[in-house]
Parts: sequence; C-alpha cells; structure tokens
Amino acid sequence: MVDWRLYEPLINFARKRSMWIVAFCTGCGGIEMPPLMTSRYDLERFGMMPNPAPRMADLFLITGYVTPKTLKRIIITYEMQPDPKYVLAHGSCPLNGGIYWDAYNAIKHLDKYIPVDVAIAGCMPRPEAVMDGIKKIMDLIETGKADGWKRYKENYEYYKKNQDELFGEGWREKTARRWIPWLMGREKKREEE
Amino acid sequence: MNELLIIIFAPLLGGVLAWALNVRGIRELLGVAGAAVPLAYLVKLYSELDASGQLSHSIDFAGFTFSFSLTHLTWVFAMIAGVVGLASTIAMVSTSRDGYEWLFALMSLTGAYGVFLSFDLLGFFIFWELMTVGSFMMVLKYSRSAGLKYFVLSVVGAFAMFLAIAKIYALSGSFAFPDVANAVYYAMGRGDLALVFGLFLVAFGVKAGMFPLHVWAPDAYSETNQSYTAMFSGVLSKTGVYGFILIYMLIGYRLMVEFGAFRSAPKFGYIIAFLGGLTIIVGGLLAALQEDIRKLFAYSSISQIGYILVAFGVGTSLSIEAGIYHAISHALFKGLFFLIVATIIYRTGKTTFADMGGLAEKMPFTFAMAFVAILSLAGIPPMAGFVSKWLIFEAVISQNLPILGGMVFFGSAIGFVYLIRFTYAVWFGQRPTDLDDTKDAPLPLAVAMAILAIPNIVFGIAPGLVVKELNKIFGGEIVTSPTLWELNLGFGRYNGLLILVWLIVGLLIAAVIYFLGAPVRKVPVTDTYQSGNPVTMEYNLTIRRNFFLPLKEALAFWLRISFDKLYRDIGAWVEDFAEVMRNYVYNGNVQSYAWYLALILLILAMWGV
Amino acid sequence: MIETALKALFILLYATFVGFMFMGIIRIVTARIHRRVGPPIYQPILDTIKLLSKKSNITHGLIYDFGILYAVGATILAVMFIPLGSIGVLRAYGDLILITFLLEIPMLGIMFAAMSSGNPYAGIGAQRALLTLLAIQVPLGFAIVALAEFYGTFSTYEIVMAQQTMGWSIFHFPLLLAAIAYDLVLQAMFGKEPFDIMIAPGEISLGPMVEFGGKHMGLLQIQHAIALFAETLFFANIFLGGGVVTAFSSSILNTIAGLAVLLVKQVAVLLIATFMGAIFPRFTIDQAAKFYWKWPTIIAALGAVLASL
Repeated sequence: MVDWRLYEPLINFARKRSMWIVAFCTGCGGIEMPPLMTSRYDLERFGMMPNPAPRMADLFLITGYVTPKTLKRIIITYEMQPDPKYVLAHGSCPLNGGIYWDAYNAIKHLDKYIPVDVAIAGCMPRPEAVMDGIKKIMDLIETGKADGWKRYKENYEYYKKNQDELFGEGWREKTARRWIPWLMGREKKREEE
Repeated sequence: MNELLIIIFAPLLGGVLAWALNVRGIRELLGVAGAAVPLAYLVKLYSELDASGQLSHSIDFAGFTFSFSLTHLTWVFAMIAGVVGLASTIAMVSTSRDGYEWLFALMSLTGAYGVFLSFDLLGFFIFWELMTVGSFMMVLKYSRSAGLKYFVLSVVGAFAMFLAIAKIYALSGSFAFPDVANAVYYAMGRGDLALVFGLFLVAFGVKAGMFPLHVWAPDAYSETNQSYTAMFSGVLSKTGVYGFILIYMLIGYRLMVEFGAFRSAPKFGYIIAFLGGLTIIVGGLLAALQEDIRKLFAYSSISQIGYILVAFGVGTSLSIEAGIYHAISHALFKGLFFLIVATIIYRTGKTTFADMGGLAEKMPFTFAMAFVAILSLAGIPPMAGFVSKWLIFEAVISQNLPILGGMVFFGSAIGFVYLIRFTYAVWFGQRPTDLDDTKDAPLPLAVAMAILAIPNIVFGIAPGLVVKELNKIFGGEIVTSPTLWELNLGFGRYNGLLILVWLIVGLLIAAVIYFLGAPVRKVPVTDTYQSGNPVTMEYNLTIRRNFFLPLKEALAFWLRISFDKLYRDIGAWVEDFAEVMRNYVYNGNVQSYAWYLALILLILAMWGV
Repeated sequence: MIETALKALFILLYATFVGFMFMGIIRIVTARIHRRVGPPIYQPILDTIKLLSKKSNITHGLIYDFGILYAVGATILAVMFIPLGSIGVLRAYGDLILITFLLEIPMLGIMFAAMSSGNPYAGIGAQRALLTLLAIQVPLGFAIVALAEFYGTFSTYEIVMAQQTMGWSIFHFPLLLAAIAYDLVLQAMFGKEPFDIMIAPGEISLGPMVEFGGKHMGLLQIQHAIALFAETLFFANIFLGGGVVTAFSSSILNTIAGLAVLLVKQVAVLLIATFMGAIFPRFTIDQAAKFYWKWPTIIAALGAVLASL
C-alpha cells in the first residue's frame, strides 16, 4: 500500500504535539495536574489534553506511588491504549518506592511491570519539573526513542511473569470475580425493595 | 366467478381448507396459496384497471345487492393487504401452531380485502365484522384479557358504525357509496351530519388505534402470533385508515360546506389531524418506555398511524396522497418489524429486553433486515419511510399549520429514541450466555422478511413508482415526478437516487481513510473500559431495564393520566352498577318480576296506550 | 460530470479544512477566556493525523466499524446539500426537512457504533444523547416550520435568494424568534456546555466515545469538523442571508467574496456558541429537557405561529 515512511516526520511531529493524557491520578501527584492544565502552566499549548478514555489516549502519567491494587488498574488501562503509547513516571515512588521504600503495600519498581519511557525524580516534582519531563518525552518521540510500547510487546513474557508473581496467575478474572458476590447482593437487595 | 370475488374469498377458502384438513405441510401450502392467489389476481387486474379506471361487480344475496369495485385507490390498499398478507402468511409457516390460526388469520385477511373492495356500506360493515372476528379469535387464543379488551372496543366501534350506517340508510334508502354521498350532500342536516361524523370517527379510530381509543392495540398486537401481527398492524389497521378516506368520500364535501375550515384545513379534518398528532406523541413516548419488544412495536405502530391521520386530516390532495404513501411504507416497515420480532421470539423464546442482547452476531440476516426497517421507520433517507414522512411534513407545513408541524417533528425524534432502545437492547452489547447458540431466521421467515424489506428500499430510492400510482387516484399530477427517482412539489424537491449515490460516495471516502489506517484487532465485549476494572461475562454491561429512566421521571406527571385506566374504571363502575341492579331489581324472585310487569302495564295504561 | 466532481471535491476539502479551523478556534477562544494561551489553530489537524496513524486499532464487530463510516458518509452527504455561496452540487435538492434529517443521521451512526461496543458508559451516553435529541427536536421543528411558512418554500437555496431581496431572516420578527430558538438548539448540536451531558468527560468518560480509539476516533474528528462546518453553514444560510455576492464582474471573485462573507457569518455563529459554552456549567439531562421544552419551544412556537399568520 502506501509507503508511510515518507510521512514519518510529519506523523512524529503530530504524535509529539498531540499527546492526550489518561486522566488517571494514581497517587498524590495528581494534585500537580490542575496547575499544569490551567492558566498558570497551560499544557494545552503543546496540544496536551486530559482524556478520560484510555482508548484514544497516548500518554499515561503515573502520578506518584503505586499500590498493587492500583497497579492492576494501571496495567489494564495501559493495555487498552492503542500503540504507540508512552508512560511518564512522576516522582520518586514509581522509581524506587520513595518514602514508601519499606512499605509492604507499595510497588518499588514500576518498570518491572510496565515499561516507563521517562521518569521524573522528586517528591513531589514541581510542575516545572513535570514540564521538563514532558519536553524530554517529546524529544524522544521525535527521534523515535520513546519505544516503551515496543518493549512491552517484545518482552511481554518478562512483564507478565513479574505481574503474575505479584498478583498470582489469572489475577484479572480473580479481581473481576471478587466483586460479583457484592454486586449480586446489592442486586438482590434492590429487588427485595 | 368474478375476479373480485376470488380476490376476496380465496384467503377464506384457503383458511377453511387448511383448518379442515389440518395436516402439517398441506395446511401451510393451502394457507400461503390462499394469500398468494389474491395478490396474483391484483397484479393481473392492474392492466385492465389502468385501461378502464374502475372494475365493478355486484351480486344479489339475501335481498341485498352487494357491489364491489376495484379503483386505483382500492387497488393500492388491496396491494398493501396482498403483499403484507403474503409475507405474513409465509412467516406463519414457521410460527403457526395449528389449523385454527390459519383459519382465523386468513379470515381476517378476507375481511380486509372485503373492506377495501366493497362499494356499499352493508358489505363494508359485514366484512369489517368478519375481519374483527378473525383477529379477535387470533388474540383470544393467546390472551383472554387482551382479546376481551380488543373485542369490547371493537364492539363499541362496530356499534358506532352500525348507528352511522343506519342513520345514513334512513336518509338515503341505499347502501351504495354514490347514492350515500349524494344523499348526504343534499339532504343531511347539520346535527345529523355531526353525529354521523362522530360515530365514524369512533368506528374507524378504534381500528386505526387513534388516541384515545388506542388502548386495545398494545395488548392485542403483542398477545398473538407475531407473524400474524405483521398483518394485524400492517393491513388491519389500514382498514381504519381507509375508513378515514371513506369519511372524505361519503360525507367530506358536506362537512366542509357545513362546518367550514380552520386556516386551510377543513375543521372536521383538523380534529382528525389533531387527534393524530396526539397519537404520534402519546404512542411514541409510551413506546420508548416499554420493556417488552412486542409492546414497543405495538405502541410504535400506533404512533406511526398518527402520521397518517395527521396527513388525512389536513385534507388537501397532496396531504392525502402523502398519507396513503405513509400507509404503504408503514405497512412495509411495520410488517417487517413484527416479522423480526417473530423471528427473535421464535429463536430465543424471550420477549423482554432484559433477557436479550448481542444478537447481531448470531443472527446477521435478521439484523440486516432490522437495519433496513430501523432506517425506514426512523425516516433516514433514502428509505421509503423518509419519503412518506417528508411528503407529510411538506404537506402539513405548506398549509400553514404550525402546531401540527411541531407535532410531526417531535414524532420523528421520538421514533429515533425508541428504535435505538430496541437496537441497543436486542442486537448490541453483551450477550446473555444462554443465547450463545441462537440460530438465524428459518427460511420462511427469512423469505417473508426479504419480501417486505426490498420495497422499503426500492420505494425510497424510486418514489416515482409509488407516486405515479397515487396520482392516478386523484386523476392529476399532485406530486410531479419528472423521473423515477425524483419528486417535485413546487416548494420542495426530493431525489432518492442522488441521495443514494452521494451517500455511497461519502461512505467510499470514509472507507478509503479507514482502510489506509492500521488494521483492526477484534476484541471481546469484556475488553472494555470500566474505569480500569477488569470485567467478566458475569458482569452486566448493558442497561437492560428502564433505559429511558430520565424520560420516565420527566414525564411522571403525564404518565399518571391513563386512558386505559379510565376505561377500566368505567368498566368497573358498570360492573358495580350491574351488581346493584342484580341485587335489588333482577333478584330472581318471581313475585317481584310480576310487580314490575304490573307497574309497567299501569304506566302504559296511564299513557293511554 | 467532471465539473460536479471538482465542485464536490472542493466543497469537501474546504468543509474539512474550515471545520478543523473552527475546532481550533473553539479551543483557542475557550483558552483565552480561561486566560490561557491555548493550542495552535491547527491543533485538531495534528490530533487527527496522530489518531489516524495509530499502529494498533481495536474493533468490537462489524457495526462498530460501519457505524463510524456511516456517520462520516452521512455528514459528507449532508454538506453537499447545503448551498455554499454560489457553489452547489445538490443545492437544488437542498430541502429544509431533508437537511435537518441529514444533520441528525451521523449521530445515529455514532450511536450504533458506540452501543455495539457494549460499554455501559457508551450505553448511558447514547441514552443521554437521544434524550437531548428529543429535547431539541421540539424547538428545532418549530423553527424550521416558521422558516418554511414565512418563505413559502422548503428549498434552502430559494430561502437564501429570497433573503437577498427581503433582508436577512433575523430582521423579520417571527424569524428572529425562530433564530434565537435555533441558536439555542445549535448549542446542543455542537455538544457544547451547558448541554454536553451526553459526553460528560469526567463522569461517564466521554459517553458514546469511550471505546473509540485510533482511526475510529480520527474519522470521528473528521466527521466532527465537517458537521461543525455544515451546521454553522446551514444557520448562516437560513438565518443570516447566506453568502451571495454580485458586486464584482468576475464570477470567480464573486465566489471567493461569497465564501468570505459566509465564513464571517459562520465564525460569528461559532463564537456565540463558544462564549456560551465557556461560561456555563453543565445541565443534567432532565434540566436540559425541561429547559428546551420551556423557553426555546415557546419562542419558536410563537415565531412559527406569527410566521403562519
């Protein structure tokens, strides 16, 4: 069909300048998002928008610490995003646990479970730091080095193994089924009323 | 034997034979033949009719002369009966249970043919009753209460018609339509005229399902063999619609002279049109709130009939032509819808939306037919439903009737609303696991659906075909149709072919962009965004009940007003009154009856009899 | 034949381009009202390129794909019927009722696609979109009725021509009422606040759009651009006098001037909607329905009755 390589610079420019963010605030860093999006720092200048639906989003901001419970949702949401997709880890916690380094219930190394393209250190990183990270990821996209989504595909066994080690095999169904008795009970209660 | 009599009595004959023999295989053959023969004769008679303009036949029976006549108008209506009747009977091959259904279904078809072809009031009335009895028996077999409700309202309608006919006969001394029209025009008084109009309005309004006489229809349409409902809603309700044309033919001129006009519509017509507009709104809103497929389409059928009544009420030749066009397309798409419902019920055995979902993958052919029907009913160009609605819009609005115009606009939106509810709940979304091995439509139903689906498309793309016939009814170029594809009203134009071509062009452009993109990967319904939560098939992902809950809440005040309840209350009062009479008057005591007799004799004696 | 094809191609490209610019204008103006800088005006084009060039796409079945194609196709069909200055492919058949229906059909395609995904958010979004449609249909219907009765014709092109001699529609009192009602309806047709409950981003994750991604969403962006163009164009034609310029001797200059006049009018319509959208919060669905069934309906019905006298 058409040889799209010719248009690759244009497409990369579009990808770089139109990153839609999954509006999923996983931790305390979510509070840094409002100033970023509103008139003080105005990320929309770079074509970035918070987007509630992951199917059409590109950039996943992991804003702060990740617990196993959140990680399940992060993985599911991440897998829903269409390629190419990018992950920006935000703050120290996704890197090494940060102040939760000895907590029983925090993920110490996020990049064992999903590939991270750019990480911003700090607790919390200021909006300027986040914008610096975004600048970095834009550069990576333009040069084609933001290849986390490729790595996830190529090394899927590795990530899957780590995920299964943490949650146990078949954790998706198990998590889903966990709520069914509760839902059914609510249904029953509603019918009784 | 005359062709007209064959057309009328062939279905009955087929039905009686099917019932009498009652052998599986033969009875189906006889029944379908009974519905096919009249259609064949109608097609055959077309050229003859075209040459002479009218075919008549009359027989003498029991001291009365029954005359039958095939004109362009009756040919159109008879063709509706023929095509929808044939499709419906073919579908009944799959869904009918025994000879009983064949007998009464075909009996009502005979009644409908008779109503359309009769050229005198007596024959009209007799065939009307035959049709009512046939359909009543069909409903009675499935549900006693729905059947009785239908019967009671039909009896009210029949009495109204009987009184009106008696009134007319007393005046004219004849039943034949020309004599009646003459006598009414020259000799009927103002009061009598209003009375006859009111009685006819009730009589035909009941059959057509006009608000507030529609209450029988939701129950009767849903509580019977759904293949038969295609005929019930497609053909039998059209007899009521035909009755409204008869009002125009018989007493219309006189009514116009006597009562004058409101704006440019005749006053009596405005009553019909306004009731029709209310029918659209009430039927449509109630259809959106139903939880049962059959009920949804029953109410939707009522709503669509409202359009026809609006068009007839406006009373110009353009609007009546638009109304007849909508009668045709209504018969086509609503017949198709009920066949689709029949297929769904036949294959799944379920009727409520709560039990369904995701059937589009399992029943692709039926879904394609449903798609055609949805587009047609919702009035999506280029489908037959759009052309007829468009004609009605133009006819109503061009007569400077803004309120009616607003009503029909509202009707088209509410059509969208309930159709999407049907589409969502039945065809799309998550499929309950017990429907996983549902099969597509059986052959007879598929054939029947195809028979009705093809004209839905053809009459939308080539409206000239229909309009040419309809113009003949009025004997002039009401709607000019320069080519087969085009309609021209002078103040508005429609071209079905151009719309089709450009829609295809648009789809092609979209498809080119689509196929240039990366290939797609099919994902299961559970791979869906649920705020990041994993889901399995045990979750309910579809809104199955109370889909339009906000609408229900917004309309809560109006929904409390129910004519059904009013009639039930009246029924209960009558029952109570009868109880009182039984306790105190007709108490079974011979002595008291003797007293009554004496009392009456005394009164008579005092009167000096 | 070739001339028609060229005209159609021009209309299509122009509508898409201007539509994208309109989307950009909406975003910039909203940003400026928020005291932000806002994205560049060509941002929607970049978004669309990015979405179309996604390397993986998902589908939930045939209808999921076809609904989108149908929406785009129907929008292209609709824009062909609306007179664009002195350029017109099908404007002779540009019947008011037909265009009103055609402008609603794309939503049907989107709803089909959204609902076939089986997502509950899409289901509830479809429900809200339909109820909004039901709500706006009443004032919309009366406004169209008022127009048709005032001019005695249903042809959009003839209405435009009549306005050249009689003055713009909005200078006649009954049609001014209709125009006010139609403008309020336009707010919901654009999906702007306060009537954007159907896509409510925060609450139901964009409602019908939740499952669309990649090229499906890209096509929907194109559809949205053309629809935005078509809706503003329709309004500019029927209420604001259209774009007929006969001042120059050259027909090409006249055409260009006509397009420019239309563009100004369209942007005016767009800006009103954007201003309203930027300052209002969101109505719930029952509030929206009650609003539409009250004031706009009364205004439009009054206009229709006055126009028919």
